[in-house]
Amino acid sequence: MEMPKKPVPIVNPWARPFWEAARKGQLVIQRCQDCKKHIFYPRICCPHCFSDRVEWVEASGKGRIYSYTVVENNAPSAFIRDMPYVIAIVKLEEGVQMLTNIVGCDPHQVRCEMPVQVTFEKLDEEFTLPKFRPSIG
Amino acid sequence: MSGLRGKIAIVGIGEVPTGRFPDTAAIYHGIESAKLAIRDAGITKDQIDYVMPTAALYSPPFNTELVTCRIVEELGLKHCKKNCQVFAGGASGSCGLQMAGALIATGAAAYVLYVHADRLGTGVSAQGGIDLFSTAGISAEWEVPYGQHYSAIAALTTTRYKYETGCKDEQLASVCVSNRKWAALNPNAFFRKPLTIEEVMASKMLSTPLRAKMSNMLFDGGSAFVVTSAERAKDLPNKPVYVLGEGGLVTHFVFSQEPDLCRFGWAEAARQAFEEAGLTPKEIDVAEIYDSYPVYQLIGFEELGLCERGEGGGIFLRGETWPGGRLPCTTDGGMLSKGHIGAGGGVSLLVEAARQLMGKAGARQVPNATFAVETGTGGTYMDAQVTILGTEIP
Repeated sequence: MEMPKKPVPIVNPWARPFWEAARKGQLVIQRCQDCKKHIFYPRICCPHCFSDRVEWVEASGKGRIYSYTVVENNAPSAFIRDMPYVIAIVKLEEGVQMLTNIVGCDPHQVRCEMPVQVTFEKLDEEFTLPKFRPSIG
Repeated sequence: MSGLRGKIAIVGIGEVPTGRFPDTAAIYHGIESAKLAIRDAGITKDQIDYVMPTAALYSPPFNTELVTCRIVEELGLKHCKKNCQVFAGGASGSCGLQMAGALIATGAAAYVLYVHADRLGTGVSAQGGIDLFSTAGISAEWEVPYGQHYSAIAALTTTRYKYETGCKDEQLASVCVSNRKWAALNPNAFFRKPLTIEEVMASKMLSTPLRAKMSNMLFDGGSAFVVTSAERAKDLPNKPVYVLGEGGLVTHFVFSQEPDLCRFGWAEAARQAFEEAGLTPKEIDVAEIYDSYPVYQLIGFEELGLCERGEGGGIFLRGETWPGGRLPCTTDGGMLSKGHIGAGGGVSLLVEAARQLMGKAGARQVPNATFAVETGTGGTYMDAQVTILGTEIP
């Protein structure tokens, strides 16, 4: 059976800098110049204080696993060949949370609160997805 | 806080069996449920002046029929002023009841018919269902590219909930067992054979630690209810089921943005609802808790204050929520055993709460049920909606 192609992100115009940076191997998030809080995913105004003065900053790329699961069966069609794969929510040092995959380790070694760092996986010529792997040391 | 305390009531309910009916048109589930609800209310069809069909997911053309007044015409409702869709995913029933109530309380409507019908069991393939629920309500930019889908979402909650509370897999399985015991008494339920913890634990692993028999399955079905004012309800045949309190909180759109993955907004929604009702969780006779996966039923049960956090698993395991138990929970079998019919999963729970309070639940009737709490949540558990109903106004 032919597998459907992997879904690519449907990009909102104001999030384009995130995807351009990811293609270059950089993880960028927003920060509010007024309340100084970090923001993910990208917004047109600060979801904390409603300010329009949001800027892009490079994130540390370090965080901890808030929760995770190993997908072993019943994956969406485009992901069947990837099973088993890990879906996780990572909380970055900057305080924001993002959905990701944990790669570069045995899926069953993943744990809550495990320290992780960002890595990048090319999806196609246009898109590179930030993913995470266990921190070294 | 609804501002509707004691002002409006559910006066009629209708429901068709949940199952796989390849030869039955989706609209039938809506027309038949609505017909039953109108007759149950003891009114004439032409007294319905407002129809709220909630959304169907299996086919956009079918949903368009619901939007463009097919239910009104099929039933021949001659004085229907408006047909307007109210849709909030699995929270549709809870939100629809409040919107219907607000229209009635202001005099904009007299008798509102709320109706659901869908065909997710035979209208889409098994893999089609997985694929539908790897996109519907899931962010196309931030989550779909990572292989996110609803089993994984429930698994993410379950993993963290187990980490924080020490809940065991057997306790999660016991929620499925509890719901199955109720479904065995419900002629409209799909799964009615007894289920054991061992069978749940032996079923296929989907996304760790979630197993196949901890997952809802999609079916065809429908249900409906009629709402009117407390004044009018007094002259109708059913015991009026008054709305006593309501609370709600929206906490996310993108699942990973949920600030508390294993609490959500339930505690705040429950606080509002109990405060308006003038009741405490101890006074609840029956709890219809949204149960698309066992962890959400446990979280709802605990966050509503029906027990302490982390104690829910033990309560389900000991049978306190089973037929004859101290606190009957999700008494129609819920989405886990009656079957998941889309937005109607939540509408069914509301209909069941009303059925129990009217004293019309047959073999599964909870004796002397006066106060019920019902919960609904939509999308990826984006909101927490709590409704308290009763046959007395405390």
